[in-house]
Amino acid sequence: MSTEFLKTTAKAIPSTRRVTINDAAHMPQDYSTTPGGTLFSTTPGGTRIIYDRKFLLGCRSSPVAKTPPRGLPNIPGVTSPPSNEPGKKAPNGELLNNKTTAPESSSTGDDSQFEMDI
Amino acid sequence: MNNKFDALKDDDSGDHDQDQGSPKDSEKEKTEDEDKDQNSSKRKMVVPGAGEHPLQYNYTFWYSRRTPGRPASTQSYEQNIKPIGGFASVEQFWRFYSHMIRPGDMTGHSDFHLFKEGIKPMWEDDANKMGGKWIIRLRKGLASRCWENLILAMLGEQFMVGEEICGAVVSVRFQEDIISIWNKTASDQATTARIRDTLRRVLNLPPNTIMEYKTHTDSIKYSMGRLPWTGEP
Repeated sequence: MSTEFLKTTAKAIPSTRRVTINDAAHMPQDYSTTPGGTLFSTTPGGTRIIYDRKFLLGCRSSPVAKTPPRGLPNIPGVTSPPSNEPGKKAPNGELLNNKTTAPESSSTGDDSQFEMDI
Repeated sequence: MNNKFDALKDDDSGDHDQDQGSPKDSEKEKTEDEDKDQNSSKRKMVVPGAGEHPLQYNYTFWYSRRTPGRPASTQSYEQNIKPIGGFASVEQFWRFYSHMIRPGDMTGHSDFHLFKEGIKPMWEDDANKMGGKWIIRLRKGLASRCWENLILAMLGEQFMVGEEICGAVVSVRFQEDIISIWNKTASDQATTARIRDTLRRVLNLPPNTIMEYKTHTDSIKYSMGRLPWTGEP
């Protein structure tokens, strides 16, 4: 069981190292930012747009994120409230996500519920 | 809440019961394919709006559902899987996500798929055919939170495996839910190990959570010989 046989031909994956910067003087010479503010130096794979969970969740409340997307197919119980339970929205229009219990609307079992106009 | 689909016996493992189809079926699918391709070329126009936060890749949401009462072998997986829409920015993602039911509230034998634009959530897609997936089985009640954490990590490029990630799936089944993340190269152990470790981190899984890696070639092999209602070997 010697490690000298553990050769690998796989390319190393660029790793992320997190450092806390308290002073502008500690900033590296070369760095980039993503729109979300994540700082990163250039990786071998090239620059990538990285967002952490907290930042992504923060974008959820932006007004544009609340508008229904264009061309959203109508799938009862999936992209719209089940048809027998209309208006299951919160007063602020915060949509059905996280609230709908989505019992199936009608006599399911046929493919019609998949109909969407795309 | 009365869930009539609970009667379904087919709590398989989140795998798609892709039947290989009769030649006639395949022809039919082909014409539908072309339709879909035209649609997806339209969707390629998706760009971030002004002031929005662009993502590293564009993605497409898909939805699929096994029609109750019909054995899987009589329906084509590809015919059952429907694109919901594509997005290119963080804000556009939330538009879709906020207008879709959470997976934990879905009924029946349903799946959400979130794949990079141009990759179909099918084993046979060129981007997937040499690939595989990490599978995590979840007891009921965890799917919504885990799915959200999984796709946020994917969209935010938290996996750090270059171009390797293809997409993610959440599968709602009878007694359990399954989440999985697909990558391009099943044989790339450095990549699959890194995906596994990132999953552990972002999903905050208990240390004893079982994670299983499955290559798509195995999935295809086993699905061909298996009766659709027997579930996973």
